[in-house]
Amino acid sequence: MNLRGAIAIWRRDMLVLRRSIFSELVAVVAYPLTIYLAFGIGMQGYIGPVDGVSYGLFIAPGLITMTAVNAAYNESVWSLWFHRKVQFTIESYRVTPISVSEIVIAKILSGFSHGLVKGLAVALVIFAITPFRFPLTSLVAYLAFLIPGSALFSCAGVISGTLMDKPETIGRVEAVLIMPLIFMSGLFFPLSSYPPAVASLVRLLPTTALFEGARQTLVNGSFSIPFSASLYLFAAAAFAAALLIFRSKLAE
Amino acid sequence: MHRDIFPAYHARSCHYNLLFPMKADTAIIARAVTKRYGSLTALDSFDLEVERGTIFALLGPNGAGKTTLIRILTTLMRPTSGEAFVSGLNTARQGREIRRQIGVVPQENSLDRYLTARENLELHARLHTMEPKKYRRRIDELLELFGLAGRQHDFPDTFSGGMQRRLVVARALIHEPMVLFLDEPTTGLDPQSRRAVWDYIRSIAGRMTIFLTTHYLEEAEQLCERIAIMDHGRLITIGSSAELKAQLTGGATYEIEFADRAELFAEALRRMSCVGSLEIADRVVTVKLERWECLAEVVSALNGAELRRISLREKTLEEVFISLTGKGVRE
Repeated sequence: MNLRGAIAIWRRDMLVLRRSIFSELVAVVAYPLTIYLAFGIGMQGYIGPVDGVSYGLFIAPGLITMTAVNAAYNESVWSLWFHRKVQFTIESYRVTPISVSEIVIAKILSGFSHGLVKGLAVALVIFAITPFRFPLTSLVAYLAFLIPGSALFSCAGVISGTLMDKPETIGRVEAVLIMPLIFMSGLFFPLSSYPPAVASLVRLLPTTALFEGARQTLVNGSFSIPFSASLYLFAAAAFAAALLIFRSKLAE
Repeated sequence: MHRDIFPAYHARSCHYNLLFPMKADTAIIARAVTKRYGSLTALDSFDLEVERGTIFALLGPNGAGKTTLIRILTTLMRPTSGEAFVSGLNTARQGREIRRQIGVVPQENSLDRYLTARENLELHARLHTMEPKKYRRRIDELLELFGLAGRQHDFPDTFSGGMQRRLVVARALIHEPMVLFLDEPTTGLDPQSRRAVWDYIRSIAGRMTIFLTTHYLEEAEQLCERIAIMDHGRLITIGSSAELKAQLTGGATYEIEFADRAELFAEALRRMSCVGSLEIADRVVTVKLERWECLAEVVSALNGAELRRISLREKTLEEVFISLTGKGVRE
């Protein structure tokens, strides 16, 4: 497949991101930073160590990951909806010699890039205000979770942005599906807090593979192959679904 | 750019021509194209041929099926049945090749408001896989031609409606298409901007085939060599503006201006059997004759009147349009 069209659209999205990078980063960093200050610093003395580490360190990988995947999802979903329903730019792309798949790939790449940039920004801020330092090998291994995680959420955003015609529906999906999936996967508490039967079900979630795998890699220095493999499988399935759904929607 | 590669595409599509004999000078063909949305038939066995290098207008009331036809011809949509060809290429099977050769100006401006005018053009040049060296020169030419060079680094949101429309037309021309589709290109523009767009269309006429849909009958009359009128998904008639007007059956309409006593003579005319309808406004009486031959009778009846003028009122394309599609307002 020729990806020149996908790259052209991705370059467009990156140009727009570059123009608004500072205002975007302020908004993106504010939310996880507030949570970190409230829970990681404010509540830390009351909560005590979790799984043998301070509570601040316990939640730090999850906050970085949450920022990245949320940014990936939001960029994909709003970008696709806006370009499809408001600006009609998707229509203008479709009368050029690029394929529908290239448009989807471009939007997934853009969401993914947003996720990485914004996740990195939060990581830098958390590293700056805390004494936590992770070995380079752990940081590189962490990318093995962050990359498919961002891709997965970017695909989910493309699916939502394709299927949802009203902006309020997009907001509802985020409130009743995306955020619960993130919070249920042990972002703020260990999975051992769940009853065993529930814990085994929660472990099957792609978000658990992402958040638990990321935490184990950064905090414990251990790499969970099952979590990583599961995440790549989910990302691949989401990519196929995004492609299929976008194609069939445009064919309507 | 694509003129030199077109013969290759044409050669490749020869087997379609065996099924649907296509004249070398035909740019667009629709053969029994039907499009159904559930129980609604938007296009019903629609047939059409558009000659290469001409400006062609498709007229029809709202919901007639014009946009559906454009969407099929521009490969955005597949017909339920039938086949369509653009530059000899099948819209169902050779979409990418067709999109290399066409430019499309949609009803909505669809400009990217987060990119400057120049960046909008650059993006589309890249989507058409043009090389930077080539597209930079082409963009300079187009911005100059469309009077946007001075605003090339501004965002489209800051442009007037006419400027935005010109930018969309420039965007459609970036890759020098063989066929340009304009879907209601001047809707919502003030008369000055509309005429400016007409001038641009005229300036590029002959170099490419232009397929235009419009609600403005004057626009079709001013710009187009051939005009088709469609309704309820079917082609009703096709021809030049003069040919369409000639199809309008019935007699002629004359305006008679009196120096005085217009009401008196109007009453006399009203009693004549060959006068279909009569309207009076001040000293001007407009009479519609059942047959033009009865003009002699009318003139006799006006004996003794002090006349200033008797003139034949030209039939308008609007009259043709209304007579063929009806007066009812469409949803």
